[in-house]
Amino acid sequence: MISDIAKNLVGLKKEFVKVYDGNSQIQEFIPKSKSELLPIEESHLDLLHEFATTNPIYYNSFEKKIGSVDCIVYEGDINKYWLNSIQHGSSKAPFSPTWMMSGYVGAMFAKELGYSEVIDIGSGDGRIAYCAKVLDMKSYSIEIDDMLVELQKSLALTLDFHPCCSDAVTFDYSSLRLTKPIFFIGGLAQMGGIALASGVLDKIGHISNLKKNSGWAFAGTLSKKYSADPKNEAGWGTLIEENNLKSVKTISLPTAWTFHESDETPYIFAKSN
Amino acid sequence: MASSEDIFQMFDSETKKLQNLIDIADSKTDMNIHEIVETYYQVMNVSSMATMLKEQAYSEPGSLLAKIRETEKMISEKFDSSTHLKILAKISLSVQVMTKNLQSGHSDEKPKEQVESDAKLFESLRQAMSTREFVEQYGKGISHD
Repeated sequence: MISDIAKNLVGLKKEFVKVYDGNSQIQEFIPKSKSELLPIEESHLDLLHEFATTNPIYYNSFEKKIGSVDCIVYEGDINKYWLNSIQHGSSKAPFSPTWMMSGYVGAMFAKELGYSEVIDIGSGDGRIAYCAKVLDMKSYSIEIDDMLVELQKSLALTLDFHPCCSDAVTFDYSSLRLTKPIFFIGGLAQMGGIALASGVLDKIGHISNLKKNSGWAFAGTLSKKYSADPKNEAGWGTLIEENNLKSVKTISLPTAWTFHESDETPYIFAKSN
Repeated sequence: MASSEDIFQMFDSETKKLQNLIDIADSKTDMNIHEIVETYYQVMNVSSMATMLKEQAYSEPGSLLAKIRETEKMISEKFDSSTHLKILAKISLSVQVMTKNLQSGHSDEKPKEQVESDAKLFESLRQAMSTREFVEQYGKGISHD
């Protein structure tokens, strides 16, 4: 069922690209209500809309029928956060969000795999952690950029997804008392993601029994702009092999950075071998 | 196969193109990104040709070898030691000014038209930063030669 939702979301994204005629830097849609293509609880959709309407990165919204689904389109701009991140040199990869719907589907899949806690690493505006909280999972959001963490704190007033301003590779994960966590790694492998994931894997490996219970979700890319990983997995194959992980499933989902691309972002879900 | 004379003519013609681009770069106060990239491309093009032709020029001493030496001197003494540094300084300043202007324009409540018009300035800044990186990479290359 989750795979079908992901597939239908991608289909609707392709429809949206054809009909969208705006000029915003980022744009995405959230369905207005539950539909056959996207059978998502109405109360969850309401919370996703609330996140978008209170999030200052979006400056405009309007109703639009995409395919057969009535949606709200949100238009946004993340330039000032990009400028802040390059000024401080704090971020390995500048902030570019996944879609809210993709964050939600990714969190749904994490829940289906049996994970009880989501840790959104390099979390940007914290949307994956927020989506996990919508699905009643425990969630934590680790972000190094102070401006983004301030933004997250304003969004966490709706649902507390525990924003934390910290460098994810030095953060003390034992303080969270995790039992069956899944770590969503923000950033493509080729855009600082490997260093980030390696650092977090190393920290988790030092906490007794945690690594074998942990899951990992990596955002991959099929873009020819980047050199391919010899072990594939959309850029993550070598890291997966070197850390004795195994890929469980890959789901393709729309993101801000693939809006104009024909390939979506493959999210590679992995666990200890 | 091209004759020695053809090769000389081709190298001479590319060197003149380069000389012209360097003169333009030295005279202009505000080069656009296309002009910067074109100039560096021609420097690299002529440098590669010089390296490739040198071996042939040694075996047939004459005007080609002299031309290669003259061109290499121009690249090293004129472009690398002066023009390149001026271009780098100008583009770095331009990135600094654009960044400062965009930072001072921060405000949470902007109309849609203003946000989308500012987004074009951010795009220009990204292009300028990427050009600065390209120019810096050239500088790192010559410092390792």
